[in-house]
Amino acid sequence: MEKTPLNTAKGTDKTINKVQHRPGDLPGQKPSPAEQNRRPILEIKKLNKTFETFKAVDDVDLTLYEGEIFALLGSSGCGKSTLLRMLAGFEKPSSGSILLDGKEIIGVPPYKRPVNMMFQSYALFPYMTVKQNIAFGLKQDKIPKAELEERVEKMLKLVHMENYVDRKPYQLSGGQKQRVALARSLAKEPRVLLLDEPMGALDKKLREQMRLELVDIINAVGVTCLMVTHDQEEAMTMADRIAIMDRGEFIQIGGPREIYENPNCRFCAEFIGSVNIFDCTLLSSNKQHSLIKANDFNNNIELEHDIDLADGMPLTIAIRPEKIYISKEDPQQDTNICEGVVENIAYLGDISIYYVRLLSGRLISATLPNVDRFKQGLPTWDDKVYLSWDPESCIALTI
Amino acid sequence: MSMGFSANMSFIRRAFRKSKPKVISVSTHQNTWRDYALILVPYLWMILFFLLPFLIIFKISLSVTQIAIPPYSPIVTFEEGAMQIILHLENYTNIFTDPEGTYWRSYLKSIEVAFFSTFFCLIIGYPLAWALATSKPAIRNVVFMLIIMPSWTSFVVRIYAWMTIMKKDGLINDLLIHFGIIDSPITMLQTDFAVYVGIVYCYLPYMVLPLFSALMKVDYSLIEAAYDLGCKPVKTFFTTLVPQTKSGIVAGSMLVFIPALGEYVIPELLGGKGSILIGRVLWQEFFNNRDWPLASAVAITMLLILTIPIIWFYKIERKEQEGAYGK
Repeated sequence: MEKTPLNTAKGTDKTINKVQHRPGDLPGQKPSPAEQNRRPILEIKKLNKTFETFKAVDDVDLTLYEGEIFALLGSSGCGKSTLLRMLAGFEKPSSGSILLDGKEIIGVPPYKRPVNMMFQSYALFPYMTVKQNIAFGLKQDKIPKAELEERVEKMLKLVHMENYVDRKPYQLSGGQKQRVALARSLAKEPRVLLLDEPMGALDKKLREQMRLELVDIINAVGVTCLMVTHDQEEAMTMADRIAIMDRGEFIQIGGPREIYENPNCRFCAEFIGSVNIFDCTLLSSNKQHSLIKANDFNNNIELEHDIDLADGMPLTIAIRPEKIYISKEDPQQDTNICEGVVENIAYLGDISIYYVRLLSGRLISATLPNVDRFKQGLPTWDDKVYLSWDPESCIALTI
Repeated sequence: MSMGFSANMSFIRRAFRKSKPKVISVSTHQNTWRDYALILVPYLWMILFFLLPFLIIFKISLSVTQIAIPPYSPIVTFEEGAMQIILHLENYTNIFTDPEGTYWRSYLKSIEVAFFSTFFCLIIGYPLAWALATSKPAIRNVVFMLIIMPSWTSFVVRIYAWMTIMKKDGLINDLLIHFGIIDSPITMLQTDFAVYVGIVYCYLPYMVLPLFSALMKVDYSLIEAAYDLGCKPVKTFFTTLVPQTKSGIVAGSMLVFIPALGEYVIPELLGGKGSILIGRVLWQEFFNNRDWPLASAVAITMLLILTIPIIWFYKIERKEQEGAYGK
């Protein structure tokens, strides 16, 4: 049995979570660029940014590899935008270094950095046509006219805007504006593309469609991409790796699946997706077996691996709602089970969320696909139900 | 007592409820005469105080001077039952054929002074407006007060103040001599320099305010976008800020250029005897030579000169509205 990597304490060790991917281990997980021995392109070392007394970015280390899409995920005010703006050159770091292709770029003005940004509001020049907007960056480099025309043409084709060359931005829809903004930021073939809340200005439907389109375009160009978002779905669909940021620090860095399945702390578990958190005490732990007492129900939680903690110590167990089985019949097991009463059911179309009140008074959520729910015999309001789960569904967290 | 009061109140409330739909129907259908009445007020004002005087001046410009009251010949005369209309155009031809070239020279000089004054106002006003637009609201209000406050005192008083500042034993010369920068006082009064100082000082607020309001509406992310795409600072200014504040630049320039062109008081008090601006020519013709027809022709010509930038201004305005942001 493998050992679930338990978190190294966040406060004591700032170089958080050395990602250890096992290719093929997690189905659906793309091998990370780090594994493919790709060259690091951007290295951020001990980067700090302090606004007066407020630490916006706190001692951040990050390495970006050639060709990957990396997402900085966090709620507003966590410092992700400040970090992005430091890379673009709009903010000056308080200390630390940013190496692009091994060369220090702090102090290099934004107009000399081989980095381009797609702005949240797109920042298209309103008095220029689509074509002029895309050509703007190339014109600054004094590229010969023939080559410029050719490259602009290529960009227009890439984002499927060939039929809109002479339109002004106000004549475009939100999605079209975004494509132009993307083309403009890609036209100069930047070493790193920065995306600031790329879907922030789009409505929900268009957002979902543009995510994949954007990834396709970025992959077609092969540019390394650093995006900032507060939308976890967006980060998970688009990015190869995600860094969860809080109060200027990276809490966890990893692939979408790893971050969801193996959050390294309570904050990450609660931040990504929804989760039931139980305060527990470790009863015993050996190589293949850990027994845990939860405060909210009588039966114990059993894990099939050890936990690096002394017996009797408190810990947290997190269980995702979709990994909880819900049934009216007693599944006849001694561990990983609790009982309660269905208090509420939320119908979301594809799934239903059951809110089950435990005897202790705790409310637990468990989801059920609606394919199953409307079969006969499944629990409904006020039914007494048993909630159970597999040992591997539990995430043991020490902080 | 209280019963009666509440009864009254409910009556009022009922009256309100009843009258409401009526008001709506009136406002949507029957009040076109109100629109006309409303728009008539400014029109009446313009007709009475602009168009009418303009026509009178125009009429005078087509007559010849004579020693009488009023000091010009009538255009329409009746002699032996015949109505005669005599339109003299020589006032206009005189302006351009005057052997000494006094008139067209003073026009050119006025345009030159107005142009450079506008230019200096723009150069000084833009950074000022920028500082205002980007400063914190608390500081902004204070600076605003400082810009507007001088106009609470009389214009002429402020020009006199500049005379005492710039005269031979005035503040500037005293200071410069005191610190040993110069040995003998510089002549500043009665020079073009003094005229520029006066005009720029007086008209700066008219430049700053429209620039400020244009800068408040600027999308600052465009500046960052230009930087990001490799545009250097100076070029970024001209490719992002200038196009976005074009209407403010044009409006401010018009507000300075137009009054500066016909400016009389400032050149008269601060300027030299040598530089004759069109305002002074007008004054001399009207009051010294009492040649009202010629003075009127000079005034009408100046107005025609002014219509060129005004038409240009409206063209830009219209383009702006149709162009970048849609209608």
